[in-house]
Amino acid sequence: MKSKNHPLLGIHSLIMMVFIYVPIAFIIAYSFNSSRLAADWSGFTFDWYISLFGNRHVMEALSNSLIIAVVSTLVSTVLGTISALAIRKLGKKMKVGFGGLLYLPIIIPDIIMGLSLLVLFNQFQMPLGKITIIIAHITFSMSYVHVVITTRLIGMGNQLEEAASDLGAGAWQTFRYVTLPQIFPGIIAGALIAFTLSLDDFMVSFFVSGPSSTTLPIYIYGQVKRGISPEINALCTILILVSVTLIFLAQFMLNRGKGQKKQSVLPF
Amino acid sequence: MKKMRWAGLMLAVMMVLTLLSGCGSSKETLNIYSWADNFDEEVLKEFEKQFDVKINYDVFANNEDLLAKIKAGGNGYDLIQPSDYMVATMIKQDLLEPLNKDNIPNWTNISDTYKNPSFDPDNKYSLVYMSGVTGIAYNTKYVKEEISSWADLWNPEYKGKVILLDDNREMIGMALKKAGLSNSTTDEAQITAAVDDLKTLLPSVLAFDTDNIKQKMIQEEGWIATVWSGDASVIAQNNPDVAFVIPKEGGTIWSDNYAIPKGSKHKELAEKFINYMLDPEVSAKNYESIGYSDPNTKATPFHTEEYNNDKMINLSEEELSRTEWLGDVGEMLQVYDRFWTELKSGRE
Repeated sequence: MKSKNHPLLGIHSLIMMVFIYVPIAFIIAYSFNSSRLAADWSGFTFDWYISLFGNRHVMEALSNSLIIAVVSTLVSTVLGTISALAIRKLGKKMKVGFGGLLYLPIIIPDIIMGLSLLVLFNQFQMPLGKITIIIAHITFSMSYVHVVITTRLIGMGNQLEEAASDLGAGAWQTFRYVTLPQIFPGIIAGALIAFTLSLDDFMVSFFVSGPSSTTLPIYIYGQVKRGISPEINALCTILILVSVTLIFLAQFMLNRGKGQKKQSVLPF
Repeated sequence: MKKMRWAGLMLAVMMVLTLLSGCGSSKETLNIYSWADNFDEEVLKEFEKQFDVKINYDVFANNEDLLAKIKAGGNGYDLIQPSDYMVATMIKQDLLEPLNKDNIPNWTNISDTYKNPSFDPDNKYSLVYMSGVTGIAYNTKYVKEEISSWADLWNPEYKGKVILLDDNREMIGMALKKAGLSNSTTDEAQITAAVDDLKTLLPSVLAFDTDNIKQKMIQEEGWIATVWSGDASVIAQNNPDVAFVIPKEGGTIWSDNYAIPKGSKHKELAEKFINYMLDPEVSAKNYESIGYSDPNTKATPFHTEEYNNDKMINLSEEELSRTEWLGDVGEMLQVYDRFWTELKSGRE
């Protein structure tokens, strides 16, 4: 039974869309503006994108961001998958307990996470740099991967695995040929979310970054103090594009698999 | 099997990336922590080549971020660029290494105006890198009167067209200067009077803005504004109608400085870098590119005529003699903070 929507709801949605997307649209539009000054439109150009790729600091920040994102994604995906599989086998109380603990990094404010990690690294006298950022990113990415894969596991149920062991498959065989193919889209989806989070993170990275580990968001933040240049707009546009593509890809991967009910797991 | 191959590929990519990130580490590195775009790129590259080292240049957005990072320790930076008052704070908190001047013979090139500043009286821990003075920028198309005093901001004709820096000490300091007092007074009655004065300016204020004040003046959204001298030069280059003046009551002078944080592993290299930057030819090239005043007295012949003639970059001795550094106000900072919040929230 579908009731007809209230007309105000449409207006409300429209206003919401304007609030969310107009600022982003401005950034994208002005990245093609040939004038150095925002608010003056003086023609279409790709120059800022070209000068962006010739800028050594941007390229360094980009390579830092990519290294950190790739490594932290790989590790957090493996850890998150293992934890999801393990917690699934636990009793109900334990499941709620451990599941809750793993959920915590998602809801803890970034600033507290960054600060606590900084204090921790100082306690162990670890020099700040790429390694500490990678560890920090793994810490929060893992939770997202865990949540995504847990959802996938719940959707899958136990029957297939039980059938496999009934038919004589060992524990490893069941995992390799039944469970893993089933949750694989979830793993990819989790990995893509982890990658996006790592690429976009500012707050946590800011606290635990050291020499030669400036990531793109930290670089952008530093640049804004000098006045917002069209180059920064171009950089933001690229970041937005990459993030959106990855999130869509994640959603697509998760919904792949025949006969599965469509589901969304994005926790935000 | 396809999936296995995919995983293999990922692993390969990761290994290559890790390798890439590791290379270049055999060279000695100089880890700089500074404001974005604070140096000319070529000057940095030339240093890398001459001394066969690698420069890591990371950026912060404000002094408080810098302080937080340095205080946290274990950060491995060799050269930082705190502003004047932050140098004082860092000295007090024992966060800076004394500079070994034997490694920086060129430091004598720095103009006397910038030597021995009040925040570091013997240049024991810091040397001035760049500097500016807060004055009034105004658009002569709209502002017809001669501007000579901070009081001119209060002129009702400019109602809704005044832009002020979004900075606590700068703005309360400005009101204090207007009243003929020190910009760093610790007398609460004087601060109260200055803030009350600022409150009467509020109806005229278009915005409190530090980051985009240049654009707002270039695009003539604002007619008259409190602006740093270096920014004023950029504004005037883009909008020739804009003029700049250091008011007769004097203005606040600020600087970003060279300093070496405690725990630096390449202290000597950092000192060599400072010395290199103070070489007359290098510094001419550098300041030409970043567009701020060059404190290096020996560099003048190497600068272009255009640069040497820019009155906003090269303030006169007379103008500089009317300036005052922001001093450490200790506990009174809380009072400044409280008044500032009160002032800004009073706008709504």
